[in-house]
Order: sequence, then structure tokens, then C-alpha cells
Amino acid sequence: MKFRTFAAFVGPSIFLMLLFIAAPLVSVFTQSFYLTQPVVEIVTEEVCTPGFLRQTCTTETRSQPVLNEDGRVVRETTFVGLQSYRNVLEPERAWEAVSNFDIGGLLAIDFWKALRFTLTFTLITLPLVIGVGLAIALAVNNAAKVVRGPVIFVSLLPFIITPVIGALSIRWLFVGDGILTRALEWYLERDIAMFAQGWTIEVLMLFYRVWHVAPFAFVIFYAGLQTVNTDTVEAAIIDGASRWQRLWYIIVPHLMPLIVFVALIHLMDAYRVFEEIVGFSSQAHVISLQWLTYDFLQPDDSGNRAVSRASASAMLTMIGIVILLIPLLRKTWRDHRGTR
Amino acid sequence: MSGPKALQQPLSLRFFSGAFLAFWCLLAAFPIFWIAVMSFKAPVDAFAGNPLDVILGPMTRAGGDGLTLIDIVVGIAVLYGAVQVAMRGLPRFVAIDAPWSNTVLRWLIGCTAFAIGFVLVFFGLLPPILNAVNGALGLEPVIGLTTVHYQAVWVDNEFWRNFVNSLIVTVGVVTVSLTVGTLAGYALARSGSQLAFWILIIALIFRALPHSVLVAGYLPVFVNSAAILEPIFGENAPTLYGQPLAVIAVLVSINQPFTIWMLRSFFMSIPAELDEAARVDGCTHFQAFRWVIMPVMWPGVITTGLFSFLLAYNDFLVTSLLLDASNQTMVPAIAGYFNRETTTTDQVEAVAAAVSITAPLFLLVMIFQRQIVSGLTAGAVKG
Amino acid sequence: MKKLLLASAVSVGAIMAASTTAHADCAIQNDVELSSLTAGFEAWKSVTDAMAECGNFSAELDQEFRTKQPAAFAANPSLYQIGGVSNGTVTPLLNEGTIRPLDDLVAAYGQDLSPNQLIRIDGQIMAVAMMVNTQHLMYRHDIFDDLGLDVPTTWDEVIIAAEAIQEAGVVEYPLGGTMKAGWNIAQDFNNMFLGFGGSFVNDDGTPSVNTDAGVNALEMMARLTEFMDPEYLVSDSTYVQQQFQQGTIAMANLWASRAAAMDNADESQVVGLVNTAAAPMAIDGGAPATTLWWDGIVIASNITDEEAEAAFQVALEGIDTDMVTENNEDAIWLIPGYEPNRLAEGAIATATADPAPQSYPSSTEMGLMHTALGNQLPAFFTGELSAEETLEAIEAEYLTAAEEAGIL
Repeated sequence: MKFRTFAAFVGPSIFLMLLFIAAPLVSVFTQSFYLTQPVVEIVTEEVCTPGFLRQTCTTETRSQPVLNEDGRVVRETTFVGLQSYRNVLEPERAWEAVSNFDIGGLLAIDFWKALRFTLTFTLITLPLVIGVGLAIALAVNNAAKVVRGPVIFVSLLPFIITPVIGALSIRWLFVGDGILTRALEWYLERDIAMFAQGWTIEVLMLFYRVWHVAPFAFVIFYAGLQTVNTDTVEAAIIDGASRWQRLWYIIVPHLMPLIVFVALIHLMDAYRVFEEIVGFSSQAHVISLQWLTYDFLQPDDSGNRAVSRASASAMLTMIGIVILLIPLLRKTWRDHRGTR
Repeated sequence: MSGPKALQQPLSLRFFSGAFLAFWCLLAAFPIFWIAVMSFKAPVDAFAGNPLDVILGPMTRAGGDGLTLIDIVVGIAVLYGAVQVAMRGLPRFVAIDAPWSNTVLRWLIGCTAFAIGFVLVFFGLLPPILNAVNGALGLEPVIGLTTVHYQAVWVDNEFWRNFVNSLIVTVGVVTVSLTVGTLAGYALARSGSQLAFWILIIALIFRALPHSVLVAGYLPVFVNSAAILEPIFGENAPTLYGQPLAVIAVLVSINQPFTIWMLRSFFMSIPAELDEAARVDGCTHFQAFRWVIMPVMWPGVITTGLFSFLLAYNDFLVTSLLLDASNQTMVPAIAGYFNRETTTTDQVEAVAAAVSITAPLFLLVMIFQRQIVSGLTAGAVKG
Repeated sequence: MKKLLLASAVSVGAIMAASTTAHADCAIQNDVELSSLTAGFEAWKSVTDAMAECGNFSAELDQEFRTKQPAAFAANPSLYQIGGVSNGTVTPLLNEGTIRPLDDLVAAYGQDLSPNQLIRIDGQIMAVAMMVNTQHLMYRHDIFDDLGLDVPTTWDEVIIAAEAIQEAGVVEYPLGGTMKAGWNIAQDFNNMFLGFGGSFVNDDGTPSVNTDAGVNALEMMARLTEFMDPEYLVSDSTYVQQQFQQGTIAMANLWASRAAAMDNADESQVVGLVNTAAAPMAIDGGAPATTLWWDGIVIASNITDEEAEAAFQVALEGIDTDMVTENNEDAIWLIPGYEPNRLAEGAIATATADPAPQSYPSSTEMGLMHTALGNQLPAFFTGELSAEETLEAIEAEYLTAAEEAGIL
């Protein structure tokens, strides 16, 4: 295909991606090395606020941005190099904790706490999602044809529900004296508070994510199972292979490209875990990398956003995901070279 | 299942497989079923401690709202009939041999007619008939059920506006995304160049980006868009803040990586000989695409379209930051329900809103679930 | 089910009828296109409804308004003419100069305003307050009567009462606490810290929370959590309000705006059983350990003077005596004509105490401190860090944030 035709076809898509993904990304990257601050002055003024019947007037000292002739805040941008990264990573404190083998001290720093949770979340849910998806696909494949339609529909439900709503519905079922907590309490005959300690919240989040993503894996593996070559399977049976051997040596390799695909998608999505933290209100116990960035970007009451730290944290998240993706990308590169 | 005896399974395996499947279906459906049940009860019942209270709704029943046995039986029958029509009748209606443009139209007409018909029958026709029957037979409600929360959400709080906005944004995103994505996917599938490969890898990395990073960059630009566009458009430069068009553009771009990856693998599974033959006959690339490839690519396109629909419909970060109240879609509106100072009634109304958001997706999946599987089998699976 | 159809028909009819009687209750007829951006709770709904009666007015009620307001008001022209703010959220608008002084407008149209409502900063009126809010004690007076307990006036007395209630076993948890990680737990700390006489920042902007007052505040909060639901780190004010309504707790330091919910027969199982009292003191003889908050209206500066005049008049219509008479229970109004009921006693006692509690500071430093507190406090309550270590971490985060914001 000539380059001009190629460009014409791909052009609109590339243009949109450049404008709305590449441009903000570059801007975030550059922002992480600069610091934009308002120029402030300290003012002492009298502030009168209402009591119920009478006002109270106090003299307060506070800092106020300087405004220029147009009434806009004067901002100056300075190059700070890696300072924002240092603010997020807190290397001195982290190194001190590591050299004293103080894991608790390391995890008290927000970034490392978020990194720990994000990594365990991603790496634990990955095999679970693939395993559960495969199991459901095999089970549906075994089921009678009549029942398959409704079962596929029901199985897809967790995947289509809006993530925030899904997390909230699980939360309602478990928080305080929710239905399922009561059931657990009755079964284990002890008081349980699911949201009072970190590890139970993490377990709930893992369960939620697997519940939410397994249908996606299921539907892809199920489609793959439809194309399994029955001749190969029959030949294996003639050769005396057991059911497990058939599964392991024929079906799984046939599905391997799909397993890689699902793993890739899941790695990227799980690494961006965010809705669970919001839905379960878990910020006291566990936080994730994207939540940390989001939190830095949330303005506090006085309108401040920690933009530089957010940019640094976003870049660090990006580096993490690229590192995680390298093995899968190398496989794709090798496959590509192999087919050319 | 008949077949060679060696491929048949022992009873124990089939039993375990069936039991596992049943357990999974229960797990998959339970939370949604539960919040649906909650949304139809008075607040006291909805958050009651005893599960039987939540299902049967004694306080709601005491308030006079409920279903009698006849209501339940007739309701289930009608629902079953509707499901059958959706899963069997609709596809048959649409699958009549026709050139591709008609198929799309038939799908749209079919779905809309089904939705409207269902709403009319279930909410318009049934209640008066059943009320008359119940009155004549003097039956008491057995299960408490009230629709007052749905009324509050859809009528009082004008949730229907948000629904319309959601439809506008989602349909816009799906059409633009598919148009742009099919062109790109076709080119990427047919060209084996290094550039194509690198574009795909970079798109993959783009897909990995956390949205919060991108969106925070958009907000000041959009809010000040009138000032930014002034040099080009002069005094009457439009402001892009709160415009659905801007949100559509952003969502399309954010979802492009996934779209082009999926469509590329679909196109890879369509043999290259097809359009090469057309090109030998003198067509340009675009003509080959339009007249030869498009008629056969629909299964893949529908599957990708459904994923795009889901992504646009369920989006929260972008829509909540870039739309103002008059244009807001459903998901950020419901976040507003949860964020405000809520009473228990507000919370149950929020639950009703949550169920309302999920209902159109039910319909979609019910109608298209066969397409999803066959589309995936046809394309992505082989690529 | 038939009710759904009927309700829809009636609602459509009502909407059509309402839109034709738009100017019925407003003293002026507004011809200028105006809009407002405010929070979404009940009081603002009543106020913006009253404003809408003047015509040509659209209200945006959004709980995410604090994210949108600064950018919207900084746009030229401003995207909204009227803004709803509290002393917490007015800071960005003050700092960027996007709201205008109201002295002239008050002189021209504000004769009916009480002097207490005029928020003056550096001598200029920047906002008109309409209601006051604070966290104060709410308690189940039936339990207190049954057990013969006195209403506590200090936090030590609260602990004594809680112990008695726990022994009697009449409720699941004697105390409720709005200690959800983030904004809520920081606010709880603010209240206790100020009650112990602490101050957040020094005059040069450096933090001063790592003091005796800070340690005392943390230790007092830790003692109180022993009487609370163990899931207190995910409990916000809605959750505590529901705990009260369902009879799970007996006492809490809760927002005055939540008091009306206790008597809501649709949801509450404790109608008439909850009384309010002034917020307990941390030090005997000191101020109640709480902060005072006001909510009010501001007018944008990036609009024409004609729009500002019209906007101010419409805004005053929204907070006039007629509106208060119709919506008396919605808030602790500062507007003449408000009749406090039984549930308002606590807030009024708190606001009129001597010495009076401080008003929450509207400054950038306080915003940064609040965020640092919200992020670092949970570590103390989950047992990860000691009190001193937590306060050090808070100061460290504040310093980082303050340097980044250009304050230090």
C-alpha cells in the first residue's frame, strides 16, 4: 500500500490520538519538570464572620496571590528538575526505611503504599481472571445449547455494569451490617467488620475486580473454543491422552494468543485501578497509583491543585506500566518479525 | 450431546461443570438483582438487616404498594415473552437478506420498536388491567413494591434529560469512533510496514494511560476555549466547555487505541485476496474498502461498536469534568446523587438511578449477545 | 403501577402551570439572563427556587461546584453571575479576584439585611451570608433520661457518659464519629485541635500542629474511637446520620444541617428522641471544640455592572424573609424572620458560647493543611504511626505542598 493512501486512511485516527492523548501526555511530561506558582504576598487583614446574632471580627495573617493590571494572578514558572519526583518518591525517607528493613516505614510513604497495592492487585488478579474466565468458558462449552444463550447473558452482566455502581453495590452488601456481612457473621459466629481493617478491604477489591473482568476473558476464550480443531482432539484421544492432558497440550496452546491478549488488556486496566478505591472509600487503608494522581489533582477548598506532584506521579505510573508490559511487547515484536 | 463416545463426558464431570456454572451465574447476577430489589422498596425496607425483609418489603406493603400473586405470575409471563422476542424474534426480523445499509436501519427500527413496545405494554397496558383484576378479586399484595423512587428520579429530578444526553454522547462516540477506526484498522491490517507496527505499539501504550492525567489537562483549555479560539473566530467564538461535541471528540480519541487494535485483527482475518482482486479490477484502495470489504466486516464492527458503546456509556471522569448540568450524562449525574448530603431516601433514589442506567445495557446485551460471540469467533480470535 | 402514569401526567401539568406563574412571588421582574452555581443541598434548593421566581434565571446545583467554580468564575465573561460559597470554598475566588466587593450594592439594595450577614474582608463586603453551620453535640435524650445522665459539656464528660451507656448496653455503639479518611477526619481533628487551643500555622506560614495541643487532640480522638463502630475510617456524615436514625448510636458531634433528618418520619426510627446541645469543650472553660461555617452568596467580578446589579437584586430575593418563612427547617438561617426550633438549640448555643469557637479560616494555608491532615491522619488510627510521628508527617507534607504552592 502506497504511503499516501496509508496516511489518508490512518490520518483521522492518528490526528485525534495526537491531539487528545499525545499532546496532554507531552504537556504532563514537561510539567513534571517545572513548577508553576503564583507570586504571593503576606497580608494582615480584618475578617468579620457571622456568629448567630453578632459578628466576630478577627485579625488574620494569610498569604494572597499578587494580581497584575488585568486582574489575573501573576504566576511564575521555574525549572525544578527532578524536585517533584523527589517530593513524590521521598527517597531519603524511603532509603532510611529500606536500610533499616522497616517495611512499615517504607509503606507509610504514599507513593510506595500505592505502588505496593497496585502491584499486588494487578499480579494477583491476573491469574485469577484468566483461570476463572477459562473455567467459565469450558463450563459453558459443556452446557446444553438451549441454556447457553441465557447463561452467556447472565455471565456478561458483571462486565457491563458501570464500575462505580458495581463497586458501590458490593460495598452496600458488605459495609456495616450489610446482608452478606450478616450472613458471614452468622456462619462464622463472630462479629465481623469488613471495612475496619485493610486486608479485608483488599480481599473485597480483588474479588470485585475478578468478578468484573472474568466475563470479558470468558467471552473471548469461549469464542476461541469454538474454533478448536476437533480432528486434533480426536487424534489425541486415540493416542491415549487424558482429559487434563488434552486441556493442557491442545486447548491451552490453541488459546495462547487469546490468553496473551487478555493478559495484556487486564494488566493495563488493573494497573489503573481507581473506581474500587472510590467505591469502597478505602483511602484510609489502601490507595492506588492512579488514585494518588487523581488526589493530587483534586483541588482542596482553597483551590490548590498539586499539579507538579500529580505530573510526577503520573509519569512514574507510566514508567511502571511500560516496565510491566515489556515481556508481552517483546513477544508481540518477535511474532511480528516472525510473520514478516 | 452426541458425538464420538470418547468425546463424551462422565456424568460426574458434567455435574460439576453444571454446578460451577450455576454458582457463577448466581454470583454474577446477585449484586445487580439485589440492588434492583432494593430500588423498589421503601427506604426502611431497602436497608433492612433481614434479607427476607428486603425481598418481601413489609413496610412497603404496609404502605399499600405491592404485587399480588396474579401480578407476579402475569408479570413473569410477560417478561419471559419479551426476552424470547428479544433473543429470537429480533435477530430473525433483521437477518432477512438485504444489502448492508438496510441491515443497520432494520436493527435500529427493531430495537426502538421493541423498547417502546415493551415500555407501553409493561407500564401502560398491564397496570390498569391488573389493578382491575385485583380489585375485582379483592386480592392483597404479597410482596411490597413501589415505583415511587423511579418516579422521583425520572420525573422529579428529570433524569430523562440525562438519559437523552447519554444517548447523544454515546451514539456520537460510537459512530465517529467506528468510522475513523475502520479506516485506520483496514490500513493497519493491509500494510505490513514498520510504521504500522510502531503505530500499533504506541497506540497500546496510549491505551495504558490513566485517564485522570489526560483529563486534568483538558479542563482549563476547555473552560477558556472562547478566549483561545478568539483569534480564529473573532468576537463570537464559541465556548467548548459543556458542549457534547467536545466530550465526543475526547472520548473517541481516548478509545481509539482499543478500537483500532480490535478492528485490525478483524480485518486481518478477512483474506487479502478479496480486495486485491478488486484492486486488480481497477478499484482504488478506498473503493475496494467501500464495496468489497465493508459488506463482510459487519460482525467485527458490531462487536467493536458494542465495546465502544460500553466505554462511552459508562464513562465518568471525562463526562463529569467537561459537561455542565444542562448537558450532563447519566453516570456523573448519579455520582452527584451520592455526593450530596443524602438521606436514606436519596440513597434509594440513587440506587434506582443506578438500576435505570444498567437497564438499557441489559437490553443491548440481550439482543446482541449472539453477535458478540460470533463476531469474536470470526475475527479477533484468529488475529 | 397506574400511579406512575398519573404522576407523570400531573407532573407535566404542574411543570407547565408553574412556568406560567413564574413571577408570582418575586418583588422585582428580572430581565437579565442570570445563572448561579451553588452546592446541591436542601437549603440551596430552596434559595435558588426563590430566585427563579424572578424570571430569566437558571440555577446549577452541583456538589462538585468547588472544582468548577474557580475556573468558571475566572473565565471572561464569567460563566455564572451568582455563586454559592462557604467560608471554606470562597478562598480561591478571593485569591484570584474573581468576585466583586458588594459595598455599593448593599448600600443601594441591602436595607433588609442584618449587619451580621455581611462578610467583611479587609473592610470590604465580599459576601452575604445566609446560614450558619457547625458541628455540635446530638444525643438521645431518652437514653440519657433513662440512665439519669447529665448532658456532657466537655469531652471528658462525653467519655464518662459513653462508658455508662456502654455498660447499660442500650445501643450498639455509644458514639458516632464522622472520621472518614480525607476531608472528614481532618475536620474532626481541626475541631479538637482548636478546642485544645492550637493554631495551625505560624505568621510566617510554617506549620505548628506538632505541639501539645496536637498530641492531646489525637489522644482524645483515639480514646473516643473505643466507643465507636470499628468502621469509623469509612464513615462520613451521611453514615453517622443513618446510624442515629436507625438507633445504632447514642451521641455524635454532627453537623447542624443534619439535625432535621432525625425527625424525618419516613426514615428515622428515633423521631423526637434526639436533642441537640453545644459542642463539648476540650478544655474546661475554653471554647466549644468546633468551627463555625457560613454559607452565602457572592457576585462575580467578570460581568458587567448592570448584570451585577440585577444579579444582586435577584440573589437578595432568594435570601429574603419570605423564603425563610416557607423553608424554616432547612438550615440555621441568619436572615430576619427565622424561628429556631428544638433541633436548632445546639447550633445556637455553640455559636453564642463565650468564648466563641473560631470560624474556619478562608486561607490557602488552611486548604493545604486540611489536605495534609486528611492524608496523614489515618495512619495514626490504623496504628501505623505514633502521635508524634503522625504530626511530623503532617507537617512534612504541608511543607512540601506549601513550597509547591509558592507560599514558603
